[in-house]
Amino acid sequence: MEAGKVCSSNSVLQARRAVEQLRLEASLERIRISVAATQLVQYCQEHGRSDPLLTGIAASSNPFKDKKTCVLL
Amino acid sequence: MCDQTFLAATFGPCDNCSANRPLMNIYLKNEPINYCSLCVELMACQGLAPGETLASLKTESENLKVKLEEERAKLHDVELHQVAEKVEALGQFVMKTRRTLKGHGNKVLCTDWCRDKRRIVSSSQDGKVIVWDAYTTNKEHAVTMPCTWVMACAYAPSGCAIACGGLDNKCSVYPLSLDKNENLAAKKKSVAMHTNYLSACSFTNSDMQILTSSGDGTCALWDVESGQLLQSFHGHTADVLTLDLGPSETSNIFISGGCDKKANVWDMRSGQNIQSFETHDSDINAVKFYPSGDAFASGSDDATCRLFDLRADREVAIYSKESIIFGASSVDFSLSGRLLFAGYNDYTINVWDVLKGTRVAILFGHENRVSTVRVSPDGTAFCSGSWDNTLRIWA
Repeated sequence: MEAGKVCSSNSVLQARRAVEQLRLEASLERIRISVAATQLVQYCQEHGRSDPLLTGIAASSNPFKDKKTCVLL
Repeated sequence: MCDQTFLAATFGPCDNCSANRPLMNIYLKNEPINYCSLCVELMACQGLAPGETLASLKTESENLKVKLEEERAKLHDVELHQVAEKVEALGQFVMKTRRTLKGHGNKVLCTDWCRDKRRIVSSSQDGKVIVWDAYTTNKEHAVTMPCTWVMACAYAPSGCAIACGGLDNKCSVYPLSLDKNENLAAKKKSVAMHTNYLSACSFTNSDMQILTSSGDGTCALWDVESGQLLQSFHGHTADVLTLDLGPSETSNIFISGGCDKKANVWDMRSGQNIQSFETHDSDINAVKFYPSGDAFASGSDDATCRLFDLRADREVAIYSKESIIFGASSVDFSLSGRLLFAGYNDYTINVWDVLKGTRVAILFGHENRVSTVRVSPDGTAFCSGSWDNTLRIWA
């Protein structure tokens, strides 16, 4: 009997915590996806030029790419 | 310490009635309270406002969830890939393995780059943590941990220390010395203590604080020097597998993902859970902030990666293919955020166009699951670690 009561008091606390959390989340200010998406696209466009993996940089400036060596025949 | 993994673990005098009974370790507003079960029950009943019952709380919570979903749906006016239609398509990508780092005796579980863009720290199931020079593939330091399955490792921003942890339930910081003969294990400092395995760790902007996540369902912020717990984050209902800090130096938020399929956004100062996203169908193995800090990507055992926007409070893109049926273990963005690198349990790395939602490349090479993918700080290459005991640098 007591075990049942223990479970219920635990779930009261949990339910109350859940309600408080949901109230907090419901009061959040949100923007439209069209606005958010446009900003994401804008960020990509602005920084795309300086992204080495996107644009590919020359072997000479990338320390990981092997530089082509001259072979004297 | 988390209260969600066990009901009663200690026995002793109750804080309220002073009787010696099995205690329930619970938290009220982040303060630990040790009450016996009878006192918890009494407190809960007193806490109920007149007319409030468990049933009424439950219906209110259901109503709030429905209302939340309605609010979010109202703002869902367009898809990301539709907005991105006018963006130029990406060309063919040629990315090859440029370096293979061999030396671990067992599965590589985690890696991290140093801010100097050339050093990498990696940790493995065999208990070893190795610091590599990625340009020359030399091993600079090696530490043997007292436990196996070192699931988390991180490089300090200064490059002078590393942090790691795993099945030992702790996060330890090792200062790196230039003297090769020095025994690193002697200078070890135990910083974090959890009640279950350490799944991820990360230094904040300085060497002074570390953020950790654990199988005990909690995340925690620690002061490195004193080992003191500065803030704890409760909210996940299962193991927390991954975390990532906001990219800007002034941001005070971080994200975490766990086995409860939820990705949570937290305020580091107050410990408050600000937002929660629950659209994945299975464990979330990896979360990573978009470079601008306004969005984040997640990789999950449900074989999909998803992009969530924080200001729209919604999932905005899903990266999946019918042919991909194995879970994604790790994700990372390229410098501009246009590319998403994801490591999968089918031994491949898929490269996704973040804006258009299409796959631009699939990289083969590893001979077992890819467990971790990290892009270098200057974006010139990315490193992948795998259960085949090796790390590969791709560029």
